[in-house]
Amino acid sequence: MSDADIRIGVFVCNCGLNIAGTVDCKSVANYATTLPDVAYAVDLLFACSDDGQDKIKKAIKEHSLNRVVVASCTPRTHEPVFRACVEEAGLNRYLYDQVNIREHVSWVHMDDHDLASMKAQELIAMAVERVKYLEPLERKAVDVIQSAAVIGGGVAGISAALDLANAGFETHLIESRPTIGGQMALLDKVFPQNDCAICILGPIMSKVGQHPKINLMTYSELDEVEGYVGNFRLKVRKKSPFIDWDKCNGCGDCAGVCPVSVTSEYEFGLDTRKAAYRPFPQAVPNKYTIDKRGTSPCRIACPAHVNVQAFITLLKEERFDEALEIYRKNSPFAGTLGRVCTNPCQVDCERGKYDEAVSIRNLHRFLADYERDHGEIKVEPVEPDKKKKKKSVAIIGAGPAGLACAYDLVRKGYPVTVFEARKEAGGLLRWGIPEYRLPRDVLHDEVGIIEKLGVNLQTGTKVESIKELKAQGFKAAFIATGAPGSRKMKIEGENAKGVYHALSFLDRVNSGKTVTIGKNVAIIGGGNAAIDSARTARRLGAKKVTIVYRRSREEMPAIASEVDEAEHEGVKIEFLATPIQVLVSDKSVSGMKCVRMRLGAPDDSGRRRPVPIPDSEFKMNVDTVIIAIGQEVTSDALIEGLEPSMWGTLDVDPKTLQTNVKWVFGGGDVVSGGASAIEAVATGKEAAKSIDRYLMGEDLVEGREEILIPIEDIEVDQASMKMRYAPIMRTLSMSKRKTSFAEVEQGFKKADAIAEADRCLGCGVCCECEKCVEACKLEAIDHSLQDEIVELNVGTIIVATGFKVHDPLETREFGYGTFENVITNAQLERLTNAAGPTQGKPKRPSDHKIPKRVAFVQCVGSRDRRFNQDYCCYIGCENSLKQAIQIKEKYPETEITVYAMDIRTHGLGYEALYKRAREKGVIVVKGRPSEIEEIPETKSLIVMAEDLYTGARLETTTDLVVLATALLPNDDTAELARKLKVSTGEYGFLMEAHPKLRPVDSFQDGVFLAGAALGPMDIPKAVAYGKGAAAGAQALMAPGVFYVEPIYAEIDTEKCFDCDLCADLCPYGAITGTGEERRVMFELCQGCGTCSAACPKNAIDMRHYRKQQVLPQVIAAASVKGELVQ
Amino acid sequence: MTRKRFEPSIVAFTCNWCSYGGADLAGISRIQYPPNAKVIRLMCSGRVDPVMVIEAFKGGADGVMITGCHIGDCHYATGNYRTQVRFDALKMAMESMGLNPERLKLLWASASEGQQWAEGITEMTESIRDLGPNPLKAGGAV
Repeated sequence: MSDADIRIGVFVCNCGLNIAGTVDCKSVANYATTLPDVAYAVDLLFACSDDGQDKIKKAIKEHSLNRVVVASCTPRTHEPVFRACVEEAGLNRYLYDQVNIREHVSWVHMDDHDLASMKAQELIAMAVERVKYLEPLERKAVDVIQSAAVIGGGVAGISAALDLANAGFETHLIESRPTIGGQMALLDKVFPQNDCAICILGPIMSKVGQHPKINLMTYSELDEVEGYVGNFRLKVRKKSPFIDWDKCNGCGDCAGVCPVSVTSEYEFGLDTRKAAYRPFPQAVPNKYTIDKRGTSPCRIACPAHVNVQAFITLLKEERFDEALEIYRKNSPFAGTLGRVCTNPCQVDCERGKYDEAVSIRNLHRFLADYERDHGEIKVEPVEPDKKKKKKSVAIIGAGPAGLACAYDLVRKGYPVTVFEARKEAGGLLRWGIPEYRLPRDVLHDEVGIIEKLGVNLQTGTKVESIKELKAQGFKAAFIATGAPGSRKMKIEGENAKGVYHALSFLDRVNSGKTVTIGKNVAIIGGGNAAIDSARTARRLGAKKVTIVYRRSREEMPAIASEVDEAEHEGVKIEFLATPIQVLVSDKSVSGMKCVRMRLGAPDDSGRRRPVPIPDSEFKMNVDTVIIAIGQEVTSDALIEGLEPSMWGTLDVDPKTLQTNVKWVFGGGDVVSGGASAIEAVATGKEAAKSIDRYLMGEDLVEGREEILIPIEDIEVDQASMKMRYAPIMRTLSMSKRKTSFAEVEQGFKKADAIAEADRCLGCGVCCECEKCVEACKLEAIDHSLQDEIVELNVGTIIVATGFKVHDPLETREFGYGTFENVITNAQLERLTNAAGPTQGKPKRPSDHKIPKRVAFVQCVGSRDRRFNQDYCCYIGCENSLKQAIQIKEKYPETEITVYAMDIRTHGLGYEALYKRAREKGVIVVKGRPSEIEEIPETKSLIVMAEDLYTGARLETTTDLVVLATALLPNDDTAELARKLKVSTGEYGFLMEAHPKLRPVDSFQDGVFLAGAALGPMDIPKAVAYGKGAAAGAQALMAPGVFYVEPIYAEIDTEKCFDCDLCADLCPYGAITGTGEERRVMFELCQGCGTCSAACPKNAIDMRHYRKQQVLPQVIAAASVKGELVQ
Repeated sequence: MTRKRFEPSIVAFTCNWCSYGGADLAGISRIQYPPNAKVIRLMCSGRVDPVMVIEAFKGGADGVMITGCHIGDCHYATGNYRTQVRFDALKMAMESMGLNPERLKLLWASASEGQQWAEGITEMTESIRDLGPNPLKAGGAV
C-alpha cells in the first residue's frame, strides 16, 4: 500500500478532565499530526458525545480520512460506539483502532503528567502504525435460534424465564434443586413492606410450572456448553429423582414410610427431612425426590452385600421387624453371623475415620436376639413356582455356602434338597466354632428358617457321586462340602500324642467327645481357629495356654475383640516366634522348640513376611500342642466326577462357579480352601444366581454383576458431629467362663443398640430399604432410574444461579455451632415462618421457649477482610430490622438490640423500616460485640460490646443471638463460569461486562447474567436484573440474525504442508480437511489466533490481527519515543 | 528536561478478556503504577507469535511481557497452555541471542485483578531498570 493512499485521522479525547486532568491532550494531538500518514489530528472534549462523534464524521469527510484512531477510554466499552460512528461516515468499521489513554494512562499515572503524556503519544504512534495495515472486513450474520436457557430458578431466573416466555420465546428453565423458588421461597416476610414471601412468589412459581412456552427442568444441572451466540448446544443432566415424576402426584406416602432423616437444607439445619422428600409444600413441580448418593461403603465391603445402612436405619427408628426383614433379604444368618462374622463391613465404615466404626455385626445380632426374645421366628413357606416346579436342585453340604444357596433358590421358587453327611446342619458353624461364641440353638433356629421355607434338609446322607444325583432327577447341583481338614506343620514330633490339629480338636469338643489335654497348652497360629482353640483349652481346664504366632499383633487375622477376650481369659500370646520341633518323650509331648522371628519385606498377602533370627532357638515347656495354621480340602470332600484344581480344591469358573460338569456348580471352602463364613454365604448366593440363570436357559455371565455405585464424596458434617464410641457389651463373668461354654458376649440391650445405630452416618442418604416402593400406590418409585442427559439448542443463555449464605460454623464465630441459642438470620427466618419447624413461633433452640431478649449481630462474615469478604451484604440491615419488627409485633415486650457498625437503609421505603423498628423500641447500638459467652445453666448469652458513640462498655444478657451473615457466591459459580466462558470477579461472583452500562451482559455474546450470582442484591433488584437479562436476550434473538466479528483465521493452502498442528491446537475443532480442502469454519472459529502463532509455515493468519498488522505496532512500541512535554 | 533515571521501554501483550480487563480495572480503581509498559491488545495470549517477541527486542524493547488469563480460565479454553509452552521456548532462544531471559515475563491476571496487574507492571519495570538497557539497542549482534 503506498503512502499516498493512507490518510489517518487521530482524535484525542479529553473525557472532560478524566484524561485532560493528567494528559496534555492538545500537545498529544499536535504530536500526532507529526506522525507519518496522519492527515488530521485534534483533541475533543468528549469524543463519544453526539458533538464529538459529529466532529469525527465531519473530519472524515472534510479531510478524506480513510483510517481513524480515537485515543480515549477502553475499547472494551467504546469500540462499538466509534466503529458505528466511522461506519456512518462511510468508512468500513474495521479501519479503526482505539487507544486507551484513560484506564491505561491518565487514571494510573496521575502523579507524573509528563510521562503520562509521553506514554499517550507512544500509544497513539503505535496505533497509527497498526491502523495503516488494517483492511476492510464484513461482519458475518449467524442465524439465532429463537430459544433461551435460563440457569437458576430463583426469583431472578423465574422473572427472566417468564418475560422470555411471554414474549414468545421457547424457554428452558434449569434448576439444580427439585423445586424452583430459590432462597426467596424460604423467607417468611420480605422487606420493606413485610409482605409474605411465598404468598407473592407462589403464584409466579405455579405460572412457570404451567407456562406452555417454559420447559421446566428442576433437579437438573448444566454439564457442558458448546457452540456460540445464536446457537449454543447445552448438555443438561437431569438427575435421577428415583421417582417417575410423570406418575408422582405429590401425596407424600413415600416420605411417610422413609426411615432416613437428614438435616434439611431448606430449614438451614433446624429440622430434618426424609431421604424421600419435597422441599416445601408449595414446591413447583409438586413432586417428591429421593436423595440417593450411591451405595454405602459397608455394603460394598460386605462379600454378600448385605444392605447394612438400611437395617441400621430401621433399627434406629425402632422398626426392628422391618430391619430384620432387610437383613433376611440377604441371608437367614442375622444371629449366627451377628456372632461370628469377620465383619469386613466395619473396616470400611466411614465413621471409623472419625472415632470408631459402627458395630454393624452386633446390631444385626441384636435384631435376631430381639426377635427370639419376643416370640418365635416368623417364616411363611414359599410356594414353588409353576415353571420351576420340576427343576429340582441338589445342594451337597449344609454349611453357610450350601444353606445360603438353598435359601436363595427356595425363595426363587425352586424345589431344593440339601444333603448333609453329618448328623446336623451348619458345617464349620456347627463343628468348628465353640459354643461360647455361637450357641447351638441360635444356629439351629436359623437353619430352621430355611427348612420352614420349604427346603428338604437330609442330614446324615453322604453323596458319593454326581451320577446318583442325576439318577434322582436333579436338574442342577451345588457342591459346598467345605474344607474340613487341618493343614499340617510338617515338623518333627507332629504325630506325637498330645498334638492336635485345630479343626479336629474343635470338632471333637463340639461333638461332645472327650478330649484330654494337659496343663500347659501351646497353640500355633494367629487366626480365629487358634483363638477358639486357646479359649476352648482354657475351658477344658488347661492352666497355662500360650499362643505362638510368627508375626506381630497387627498382622493377626483373628477378630480383634476375640483376641482381647482370649487375653482377658488368661491366654498368653508369644509373638514373632514359630515352633521348629515338638519334643517327644515316651511318644507324648514333652516340650516345644521354637525360634524367634523378625518381620521382613511384605509378601503376596501384603503382610510382612516373618524371617527366622539365627541362633534364637528357645524351649517351651508344654504338654499339649494345638496346630491352627489353616484348613485344607480333604479327598472325601471332593465328589466323584468333578475335576479338582492343582491345589486339590474343586475347580470352578471364578465368575459363574460352574464346574467341568455344566449343571454342577461349586462354592464355599471346597473351592476357596478356607475362607470366612460371610464369604461362603456370598459364594452360595452367587451359585444360586448361576443356577437360576442356568435353569431358566439364560446366559450365565451377561448382566449378572450387581452394580453398586460407590458414593463419590461422602458428606460428613464434621462440625456438628460429636465423638462417640460404641457401647460396651455385657460379657459373661470370668469365673463362669473357666468351666462353662455359656455364651460370652451377651449382646446389646435395646437402648444400646439404638444408640449405636444412631452413630451410623447414613453415607448414602437413601438406604434403599425400598419401603417407599411398597408404600407408593402409583408405582412411581424406581430405584434403578438413572441420570438422563438432555441436549438443548438455544440462542441465548441467562445465568441466575444466585448465592449461598455464609456459614459461621467454620469459624465458630460468636459461638455459633457451640452455643445452641446463637443462630443465623436465615434460621430465624425459618422460625418465624408459619411453614417452618416451629410453626412461626420464634422458639429458641435450647428449650423451645419464646425469648424475652434478642440480640442481632450485624456484618457476620461481611465487610470482613479476614475472609476476603470485605463487601457489604446489602440486605443484612434491612433484614434484621424486619425480623426485629416481626418479633415486636407478635411479642411487644421482647427486648431487642441490634449491634451494628452502622445501619445501611438505602433507597425508598427502607428508612421507614428503620423508623418503624425504632418506634417499636428496637435499640440500635453502634459497635459489634467483641465476644459472646454462654451461661451454662440457662443457655442464655452474655453479649459484650462497646457502644462507639458513648464509649460505654456493655455487658448484656440475652436469650437469643441472631447473626446477620454474609452472602457468598455459590460453590459451583466458578466452574459454571468456566463452562460458559464468562468471568468472575474478585470475590468469586460473576462479572458483568461493565459495572454501570452493561450490568446484565457478560463478555460472552449471548450469555446474560442476573440476580445475586452477580453479587449481593435484594429481591426487587434481582427481579429487575432478571427482567433486564431477559430484555437483553430478547433484543439479541428478535432480529433472527446476529452479526459476529469477522475476526477468524484463514488458511493459505499453498503454504500449508499438512502438519495438522493447527487442528490439534484448535479448542473448537474449527479446522477441517487436508491439502487444498483444508479450511477454517468461521462459524466455529472464535478468533483466539493460537493456530496462527503456531503455524510453522505462516500459512494461517488471523483477520484483523494479521502478523503484518501487529508487527508494525510491536516495533513502534519497542522503539518510538515520545517527546518529553515541557 | 533530562532524567538521570533509566526509563525502560516495555512491550506488554494482553489478551482481550482477562489481562486487558485487569489493566482496565487498575485504571478504574486508580491504582498507580509506572508508565513504562505499552499494551498491545490481542484476542488471546495464544496469539503471541514468538516472532512478535523477538521483533520487539530487535526493535529495542528493554523488556517484554506476555499476559493473559490464569491457566484453566482461558476464554478460549486452552490458548494459554500454548502460551506457557512458547514462553519457555522463547527464554531459551533469548539466551542464544545474548539476551537475559529475565527480560521476558509472563503474567497471569484475571479481569478482576487490577491490583495484580499494577503490581506486575511495577515489578517488571523495577527489574528491567536494574538490568539496564537492551544490549541489542546499542548495535549488538543478533
